[in-house]
Amino acid sequence: MKDLIIKISGTSGQGIISAGDILSYATARKGYYVTTYRAFPSEIRGDGKCYYILRISEEKTLTATGQTDIQICLDEDTIYEMQDKIKPNGVLIYDKDKAGELKEVKKDIITYGLPLTTIAKEIQDERSRNMAALGIVVGLLKNLHLEEQILKDIELRYKNKPQVVIDSNKKALKAGYDYAVNKLTRKDNFEKAEIKSTGAKLIMSGNEAIGLAALVSGCRFFSGYPITPATEIMEWLAKELPKFGGKMVQCEDEIAAINYALGASYAGVKSMTATSGPGFSLMQETIGLASMAELPVVVVDVQRCGPSTGVPTKTEQSDLFAAMYGTHGDCPKIVLAPMNVADCFYQTVNAFNFAEQYQVPVIVLSDASLGPRRECVDLIDTNNLKILNRQKPDLKEGDDYKRYEDTKTGISPISCPGDLYGEHVVTGLEHTQANAPTPANDIHRQMTEKRFRKLETAAGQFSKAKTYGSENASIGIISWGSTSGAVFEAIDKAKEKGIDVQALYPRTLYPLPTDWIKSFVKGKEVVIVIEANYNAQFKSTIVERCTHINRGAEVLEFLKYDGTPFTPDEILEEIEKVASVQTAKNDLQTNKHTHF
Amino acid sequence: MKKMEISDYKGKVKPSWCPGCGNHGVLAALKKAMANLEYQTHNTTIVSGIGCSSRFPFFMSTYGFHSIHGRALPVAIGLKEANPEINVIAVGGDGDGLSIGGNHFIHAARKNPNITYIMMDNEIYALTKGQCSPTSRIGTTTKCNPYAWTADRINPVLMALSFNASYVARGYAGDIKQLEELIQGGLEHHGFAFIHIISPCVQYNKVSSFEKMKEIIKPLPENHNIEDRVNAMAYAFAPNGPYTGLFYKVQRPTYEERYADIISKAKHLSGENYSIEDVMKQFK
Repeated sequence: MKDLIIKISGTSGQGIISAGDILSYATARKGYYVTTYRAFPSEIRGDGKCYYILRISEEKTLTATGQTDIQICLDEDTIYEMQDKIKPNGVLIYDKDKAGELKEVKKDIITYGLPLTTIAKEIQDERSRNMAALGIVVGLLKNLHLEEQILKDIELRYKNKPQVVIDSNKKALKAGYDYAVNKLTRKDNFEKAEIKSTGAKLIMSGNEAIGLAALVSGCRFFSGYPITPATEIMEWLAKELPKFGGKMVQCEDEIAAINYALGASYAGVKSMTATSGPGFSLMQETIGLASMAELPVVVVDVQRCGPSTGVPTKTEQSDLFAAMYGTHGDCPKIVLAPMNVADCFYQTVNAFNFAEQYQVPVIVLSDASLGPRRECVDLIDTNNLKILNRQKPDLKEGDDYKRYEDTKTGISPISCPGDLYGEHVVTGLEHTQANAPTPANDIHRQMTEKRFRKLETAAGQFSKAKTYGSENASIGIISWGSTSGAVFEAIDKAKEKGIDVQALYPRTLYPLPTDWIKSFVKGKEVVIVIEANYNAQFKSTIVERCTHINRGAEVLEFLKYDGTPFTPDEILEEIEKVASVQTAKNDLQTNKHTHF
Repeated sequence: MKKMEISDYKGKVKPSWCPGCGNHGVLAALKKAMANLEYQTHNTTIVSGIGCSSRFPFFMSTYGFHSIHGRALPVAIGLKEANPEINVIAVGGDGDGLSIGGNHFIHAARKNPNITYIMMDNEIYALTKGQCSPTSRIGTTTKCNPYAWTADRINPVLMALSFNASYVARGYAGDIKQLEELIQGGLEHHGFAFIHIISPCVQYNKVSSFEKMKEIIKPLPENHNIEDRVNAMAYAFAPNGPYTGLFYKVQRPTYEERYADIISKAKHLSGENYSIEDVMKQFK
């Protein structure tokens, strides 16, 4: 497969993210596949380092990982940090005006120390160094023909800025491009680099995909409080919702945010809020209220390193317990975990459908590696999506409407303010079918069962768990959420080395699809549960919920909790380790048999 | 519109408040004010938090949302923003609205949603059997404060004025006629109407009893200019208070009106026929 890995790094405030975004849009719009990864500190300007990784390819790729083809360093520090990851004959571009002569350079790479500051200053000021550097890359990759598209993308990105900003950025890009094409003595081979364009596709971030799904699902109310890395969902909906008559309301805190959403949901409007760990903790009590009062609401948690403020910009999958068990009491809800950007869209559509159909809070667990990253998504047919609405009662005068009628499915039709003859009081107190508060033992038991019955009804509707790899593999991987790209890529690499592995990704984590997990484990000798947290939260859930799972296969864990996402190579290494232990065990077994 | 009688608002659940509790008077006054304005039950929602007074929605025949402690206002505002056609009335006590929910109160006031907020102040946590609240007086003793309560009181009327609530009144549960007028004024007001009601607890608060409160309250002078916020604050501050009556009323755009402007601006920029297909273009 032909692919190119380009990395842009520097200090926060140097325009790393802008440059990366513009290049990723331009490549996608030219019909190439692009997968990205970005990492940034929480300070806007300061000493924090920013990284933007793009993997441009002919075929769809799953992660933006691998050795670097072209590295741009806008500051001095990252030159020394990033050069080890450059491929032999790969290129390092840095600003000669800032860094001067390099102290140490890897021998097998090509370095271009270029006068980026001078080029930018000749146009306006040094702020457009990022565009000059991008121009160099576009010039080096002349065969990709990005030059026209990237100018359009600069215009689009800065369309609300003064004309002078647009002009200076475009000029800087052109100057960089001209420099690479006309002045630079080429030592590299990227002139010949060619990637086939494969036609129209979408490019969006995980956060945008969630916003889009909400809009398409008919969500017309969003309330939130700014928090990294979830704010982008709020910003996107703030822009789009009013165009459809909907509202994005910024609240005083996350407690208010989820209560606004619940109030709006009671009014009959599909509602959502989005947050990250600290905000998610604050929302727990109201998630319980939604569960008890049986009101639909969608809560997105774009997880980051915790506990407490943790590492706001870095990724972790450590809110699973909080999502499943965070609220006090026996609290029916649904927890979904999208695997990639496209899945962020589809699982959020599911989230609204489940919330409305079963009148429960639905939690979508994204994370800091998935929310902000842009990747190519196959075209979405928004006209043929299944969009479900809540079941309304058919009421006439004199009807004795029971809001919480105990039914076979557990679902009771729901009226909303404005509906004639549907008056009722919703409450977080235990209540009778006719919504009167009561402490009666038999009613608390009956209503708890009624509320949980909805999850049994829902179970048949959940998206099938995704499997990847060979069905006959003796090594299995069970994982969830954003790890999928790295895991699937590792499985492909393991296959090349003759090791068969199969992965299972349940998208619904609560209620846990134990049947799927049990049947997946059947026939496997060993199963590795891979997740980005210290406590092996998913593994312990599986072991606890899937009785005797350990008798069928050995269940191992492979965990990461340094704030960075898994890479395919790390997982491959783990697979190889497990495979060799497995082979040794099997040999021992065989030898024993021969002996007797 | 159906003509409404007080009895039309009678809820399925019988009021559970103690005999003689101030809240009975507030319930009667609200029903009367709603009947005067022909509020329809299907088009009205009473939202509350947790506490004695927050049981209110169950005693009404309208829609109701008995939420969790302190969160009546965010639920009420969310509901109103989602459907501005609904009459939304938030109710609750001093602990619910000034302690656990205090943050929401100040932000509700400055946002100016077109809702009414009735705070029944008994200067005590009564549902949990008598602990000090943000309006309890220094020196009060309870089981939780066996020696003395040591924090200064919050002045809810002053607080509402400070954060620019557009209608601020104070009533007394013993004067149902005045209450009815103040509540009706609040319901009719276009914006965030805050009505602070001195509603004595007959069980756990012997200090601020009906008798004591009746002695010390006094009506605002007739010549008080309700558009003069500074003067309203002076009366709210007055050590010889508490005054009852309408402190302040001013017309300014509601949250819904301001948002309606945003929607028309957004629609104007995007065009009336803007569709999901148009949204998708930014990703292509």
